[in-house]
Amino acid sequence: MKTIHKILVVAVVIFTTGGMIVGCSSTKNAYTAATDVQDEFKIEKSGAQMWGEACNRCHLAPSPADYNDTDWSTIALHMRVRANLAENEIAKIETFLKSAN
Amino acid sequence: MIVGFGHITYGQTYNNFETDSVTAPEPFKPSKTQFMIRGYGHTGLNFMNTEGEKESSYVGSAFAPIFLFKHSDRLMFEAELEFGLENNELEVGLEYADVMYILNKNMTVRAGKFLLPFGTFMERLHPAWINRLPTRPLGFGHDGIAPASGIGVELRGAFDLGGPKLNYAVYSTNGPRLKDGSVEPEEAGMLMFQNFEDNNNSKAFGGRIGLLPFADSSTEIGFSSYSTSKVGTTDSEYENVGVFLYAIDFAFIKQIPAISGFIDIKGQYNNSDIDDATYTEVHEDGDEEEYTFDNKSNSFYAQLSYRPTMASSDFMKKLELVGRYSNLNTPEGAEWEERSDQYAFSLNYWLTWRSVIKVAYQTTDSVGGHDGGGTANGFFIHWAIGF
Ligand code: HEC
Repeated sequence: MKTIHKILVVAVVIFTTGGMIVGCSSTKNAYTAATDVQDEFKIEKSGAQMWGEACNRCHLAPSPADYNDTDWSTIALHMRVRANLAENEIAKIETFLKSAN
Repeated sequence: MIVGFGHITYGQTYNNFETDSVTAPEPFKPSKTQFMIRGYGHTGLNFMNTEGEKESSYVGSAFAPIFLFKHSDRLMFEAELEFGLENNELEVGLEYADVMYILNKNMTVRAGKFLLPFGTFMERLHPAWINRLPTRPLGFGHDGIAPASGIGVELRGAFDLGGPKLNYAVYSTNGPRLKDGSVEPEEAGMLMFQNFEDNNNSKAFGGRIGLLPFADSSTEIGFSSYSTSKVGTTDSEYENVGVFLYAIDFAFIKQIPAISGFIDIKGQYNNSDIDDATYTEVHEDGDEEEYTFDNKSNSFYAQLSYRPTMASSDFMKKLELVGRYSNLNTPEGAEWEERSDQYAFSLNYWLTWRSVIKVAYQTTDSVGGHDGGGTANGFFIHWAIGF
């Protein structure tokens, strides 16, 4: 394998691991503080809006009425992993889907 | 009303065990474990005209059941079987079978046979009810240059950067095998990605980084790589042939009021670089000749679709217009040398969010390749359904 390729692979690995470490090492308090500030000063996106945006990215978005709550829990977990969605994003969408079905 | 309210309460306390147990009694308590059968199928009619040779056939009747076992809020198993009718035989495939566990809010581990996040087409867009066209772009699937799935372990996750989002996946799999031409001389130098038992001790490593730069999740750019230092069988002369593949993917989906509907753009570029090796060609008279070539391939596709979701007529709302361009270039000097360009167009009618009728036309111009090249035109009527 060519050296340039090795360098590229190593760079990708370092970048992702670095990102993960930074993401995971931010302490719980700092994180909540940041979101608290967001809550106060930003008008947060609703779960409904996030559903309209995120769930249309690959396929057409299903309607909340398509599944019951138990099914939505399973689907939300499946989509969270398959579509690599952020935890706060999928949590909000799931709450919306379960409230509107 | 009470039922509805119970669900709202449940939804809000999701993932919070303490409060779960102290909420008011619910008339219906959803279970934490669940088993779901899902999947998709498709069927259709194909008319092909390859250099004047006409063929028509009812095709597909593919059935792909998906099994989802949710053990807890963190643990899940997914598996997909694929049944298809090909060459007058029933073919069964295990598309994926993996277990996933949420480690924390930014990390999930998966193990087993999973679809590889090499670009986005195979992992996210290939199921018949998601793919807007009845065919795959050049470079994917049979004789493709991009891997679809692998057996191994993977770590993935996503970060919300306060609007923009970043997602990553890193994995290790058995990696591909090199076809050395001893079985199929016309495929010498190709990679076989189906490698259920590794033929050497070198594993493949890969990953993808996806960035959604805007808060509305409309745009995603991804970069993937996949490499291994050995694809040949241990102790064979091809043992040390290394491979480096990369892909760049792009997606943009947005409802734009000015044009009364959804615009959906998707694209992916794949590049494959396999170390040069010497292969043997056996002539009809029994003479052997050694040859080599610069083993580099690439493929590309871009797809644009439009759905007039804000049109006044109910019929129009369910229509979709799709166009796709794709091309494939395989190494010069290889037995499988090929240059192909393909255009595909489709008019789709969405019966529901996961059931679609596609009426499509496709034209492919190729030089070289399996069928010797030329122009192949196809007309397809397909019906896909996810369930
Ligand atoms: C990154 C692409 C992507 C995004 C974003 C996405 N999905 Fe999916 N979705 C898929 C794929 C791929 C499948 C098919 C899974 C399979 O067949 O293996 C699927 C399947 C489904 C299914 C069928 C049941 C299942 O779990 O397989 C439902 C329901 C669904 N998605 C809902 C959603 C919802 C709700 C959202 C928004 C939170 C969403 N999807 C976002 C790619 C995506």
